Amino acid sequence: MNNARTDRSLEGAMTPGIPIFSPMMPYGTGLTPQPVQSTNSLSILEEQQRQQQQQQAAQQSTSQQATQGTSGQTPQLFHSQTLTTAPLPGTTPLYPSPMTPMTPITPATPASESSGIVPQLQNIVSTVNLGCKLDLKTIALRARNAEYNPKRFAAVIMRIREPRTTALIFSSGKMVCTGAKSEEQSRLAARKYARVVQKLGFPAKFLDFKIQNMVGSCDVKFPIRLEGLVLTHQQFSSYEPELFPGLIYRMIKPRIVLLIFVSGKVVLTGAKVRAEIYEAFENIYPILKGFRKTT
Amino acid sequence: GDRVIDVGSEWRTFSNDKATKDPSRVGDTQNPLLSDGDLSTMIGKGTGAASFDEFGNSKYQNRRTMSSSDRAMMNAFKEITNMADRINLPRNIVDRTNNLFKQVYEQKSLKGRSNDAIASACLYIACRQEGVPRTFKEICAVSRISKKEIGRCFKLILKALETSVDLITTGDFMSRFCSNLGLPKQVQMAATHIARKAVELDLVPGRSPISVAAAAIYMASQASAEKRTQKEIGDIAGVADVTIRQSYRLIYPRAPDLFPADFKFDTPVDKLPQL
Repeated sequence: MNNARTDRSLEGAMTPGIPIFSPMMPYGTGLTPQPVQSTNSLSILEEQQRQQQQQQAAQQSTSQQATQGTSGQTPQLFHSQTLTTAPLPGTTPLYPSPMTPMTPITPATPASESSGIVPQLQNIVSTVNLGCKLDLKTIALRARNAEYNPKRFAAVIMRIREPRTTALIFSSGKMVCTGAKSEEQSRLAARKYARVVQKLGFPAKFLDFKIQNMVGSCDVKFPIRLEGLVLTHQQFSSYEPELFPGLIYRMIKPRIVLLIFVSGKVVLTGAKVRAEIYEAFENIYPILKGFRKTT
Repeated sequence: GDRVIDVGSEWRTFSNDKATKDPSRVGDTQNPLLSDGDLSTMIGKGTGAASFDEFGNSKYQNRRTMSSSDRAMMNAFKEITNMADRINLPRNIVDRTNNLFKQVYEQKSLKGRSNDAIASACLYIACRQEGVPRTFKEICAVSRISKKEIGRCFKLILKALETSVDLITTGDFMSRFCSNLGLPKQVQMAATHIARKAVELDLVPGRSPISVAAAAIYMASQASAEKRTQKEIGDIAGVADVTIRQSYRLIYPRAPDLFPADFKFDTPVDKLPQL
């Protein structure tokens, strides 16, 4: 059952609808046949998923609680999630699975309602190893939308329009892809850059794609008393109006940094998976409600 | 009886009778709180003909550096004293700064950072802890380190020493800014009142307290006989005059409510400049 779930979620996750690890790759025939590599990354991904599921078993109840309130908005979001244990749309009902202890103990609504606000992802930074040394000069000369200024920075800066992203390509073959708005888009964009590099004649592969950082933002829709928040949460907060107008809240679990502003806007960063952002926001929301400005 | 060894400075340092043969001379002041005990000896410059060898160079050229282990620390203390001197900080702040620096230095968690940056940040923290905060820009003015670096070191030091500091308020800066502008006590009290009320009524959400203080001083001075321009206030407070303008625009609508009840208006409230 578990395995079937992971397989299905994998399929949905890689590229919309297209099974990626078949010989007929959607990105042209220039790719060197790498069946070994593909299955490697597939099994690595499966392992990661299993680990994630085990780790998040305890958090499943809370995350499902959160998703309950927001499931109306998020079927597309969960479709693209690969590494969370959130229920797939259409396969599981809206209520939490029978194994959560919440249902028999609490009444219909839990003690503190979930916020009903979902942080939107604004930026994803990911890295991938193309697996071969690259000649940055030829890439810069032949590729479109590439800039290379070795005196300023030792990498080629390449941009594509769809998804709108920027990549830093280093001569060691490693690449950093920034600017995507979802995990799926980040992976897609990284594959596109890999294809560009491949078409220029380098034996590019697609090894160890990893999302390094995710940034999300949202609005709690009420003004916040930052002075009060810094007084009570001194060990986590840093509020220096001379240095930065927002309060910098370093949450320990999950390890996320939140920038909280007087207007009620919140920026969350430092996450490796989407669920960390959601969890951090669900943690901070009741605290912020306590410091709502009354006038 | 009780005999205590006086570790203060030799009080007969300037007497010149029996200059070389006074047996009660024991050395420089001891600074046990800061260095590891000051028992080293330095060879001074020679007097008399015998201390110079041929060619006119002095024998015993090298003044051996005393405690090489805290030479950097002594250097930093000297720098801290210089910085504090430029803005006339009292001795208690300098002592607190030295203590903070010593704690940070011994912890070694900020070892890679420039000592001057750490010293400037320690000075900033000491001023805050003593209840008389200086703005980052004021510390920048007496240090060669950029505001960005001082800010970074400040946050790192708070983390390393596991302390925190109180949030700055508008009132902390009133007396200093007003005195520098030559404003009388009435205007200073009015400005303090205006700034406090503006923050209470939440007219200026998200604005730095320095900017609000500057705008309050502008409003108070413009209502009194001692008017100051935005540029002058901006110069003293370290804020741009457009910043003062922005904050002033936010407090202007409620101006009648912000002034203290007993304020004598030279320019009535409705004739205050509208920017």
